[in-house]
Amino acid sequence: MTLLHLLRIDLKKMTGYRTFWVVCGLYFLTLGLTSASGMEFLKWLARTFEDFGSKLNVDRIPLYHFPDIWLNLIWCSGLLKIVLGVMVVISVTNEYSYRTIRQNIIDGLSRGQFLASKILTNLLLSFLSLALITVIGLSTGLIYSPVITFDRIVTDTEFLPLYFLEVFFFLSYAMMLGFLINRAGLTIIVLLLSRVIEAVVTSNIDDYVPWLIKYFPMQSIWNMILWPAPRYAFQEIRDWVDPLSVAIVVGWTFVFNWVSYWKLKKADI
Amino acid sequence: MDNVLTIRNLTKRFGRICAVNNLSLTVQRGQVFGMLGPNGSGKTTTLGMLMGVINPTAGDYLWLGEKPTHHVRKKIGAVLEHPIFYPYLTGRQNLELMAMIKQAPPGNIARVLDLVELTGREDDKYKTYSLGMKQRLAIASAMLGDPIILILDEPTNGLDPMGIAEIRTLIQRIAGDGKTIILASHLLDEVQKVCTHFAVLKKGNLIHQGPIDDVGKGSEVVELRADAADLDSILNNFAGLQYVNRQNGYLQVTMKDGFHSKDLNRFLFDHGVVASHLVTKKKNLEQQFLEILSARNESEKL
Repeated sequence: MTLLHLLRIDLKKMTGYRTFWVVCGLYFLTLGLTSASGMEFLKWLARTFEDFGSKLNVDRIPLYHFPDIWLNLIWCSGLLKIVLGVMVVISVTNEYSYRTIRQNIIDGLSRGQFLASKILTNLLLSFLSLALITVIGLSTGLIYSPVITFDRIVTDTEFLPLYFLEVFFFLSYAMMLGFLINRAGLTIIVLLLSRVIEAVVTSNIDDYVPWLIKYFPMQSIWNMILWPAPRYAFQEIRDWVDPLSVAIVVGWTFVFNWVSYWKLKKADI
Repeated sequence: MDNVLTIRNLTKRFGRICAVNNLSLTVQRGQVFGMLGPNGSGKTTTLGMLMGVINPTAGDYLWLGEKPTHHVRKKIGAVLEHPIFYPYLTGRQNLELMAMIKQAPPGNIARVLDLVELTGREDDKYKTYSLGMKQRLAIASAMLGDPIILILDEPTNGLDPMGIAEIRTLIQRIAGDGKTIILASHLLDEVQKVCTHFAVLKKGNLIHQGPIDDVGKGSEVVELRADAADLDSILNNFAGLQYVNRQNGYLQVTMKDGFHSKDLNRFLFDHGVVASHLVTKKKNLEQQFLEILSARNESEKL
């Protein structure tokens, strides 16, 4: 069975499912709108400032100028991945609540193939997110940048693959929780609280083993793609890729998918 | 040997509970094999192991003489416990999805819908189907990949008498095509009507296996009524008597091997008793089943 065939099997399940269209539609719509409307927000801010008699020079904040745009866009869009994560949780836990995972395997999918079909959908969703961000980045950058050179356009685009990795990392995590917990409600709660729970743990060990914190899964994402805003407050930010932070995220992504496989392999379905 | 299924020492434990204990049996090509047993006797667990969704604790099994893989499962049409489909998809979409999984030609879909007489409702969502339609769609899905083997687990569960009759006719028609069918059920009547062979499970143990034609062989039972005050004591002198019990106002006389109703009739007549009712009862699977189970109970007590 080819990978494409496995992907088509999972898409067949999803495309007949209205919730999938609603959630994915909302996700890509929000992603497009929020990332494309940052400039409008700045203009609104400037108008409001003017009403109070102060002046805000919009062009002094180069949100949408090459190359700043890439990191700004990628960092903000990364926040929305939680919506896709919830969709992935629903996709996995539905298979348990309808017991269709059992029937799929009875019908002749191997457990590995079943998992592969889910992972392939995750890859597809990550890729679509990347494609959308690339298109938005290029078009808004071309509109708003005062200086357009090839050099400026491609600077920081090395963060685009990292954005893909970030989304895929998170969807893998959501999928793993789905396979481990099996119930939609509980899984979504755990998914939403993951960052909070981790923050509580890391703040408690901060004084003892600070070097360990960057290895925590949710933290590893924040270390890979840093919050870019401080650069507008005259601070230096790291605008190069840190190989260790990428390696940590890749490692976790591998672990999440492997745990899903291990759980699926050993469980009675 | 044309063994479709060979099970060797299959065992499944859930914690302390032993759901299937050291089960060995074979099913041959063309058989309609009934798996009988009370609820919780391990039928579904066994089928779950055979279909790769439950990992056995010990033992193994061969399908068509091969080690089981997901490739073999594509040649088997199986519905375990109750129909399972995506409720938000239509009947046809569910079958299309299944055809993709089984890598069966999509052209089969119209044919199996016709077979179970669901044509006309195939574009309605599965969740709008009645229980009988769900069961029929399940059988359609099992037939989708032109299976060599069909596994049905309680296919008439929850159906009304008409639905049961429909499913039974369907099974007989499919069996007529020479497919091997494994049918798990606790409805003995159903098994007797369609099966050629049967096995009885109890608490995970295989306690009987044989052809259905053997049912009814063995000791004969004669139903008797006669106007005689001391009928019981007269009967006690009958050489062919195994035991006697009273049911619905009749005496059920179980004979020893080699004795028949005419021997009883002659004996009674010789003792001056004229029977007003004397019928040789053909034993049915239900009685046989209860006998097997109670015989097992007694041997367990010893």
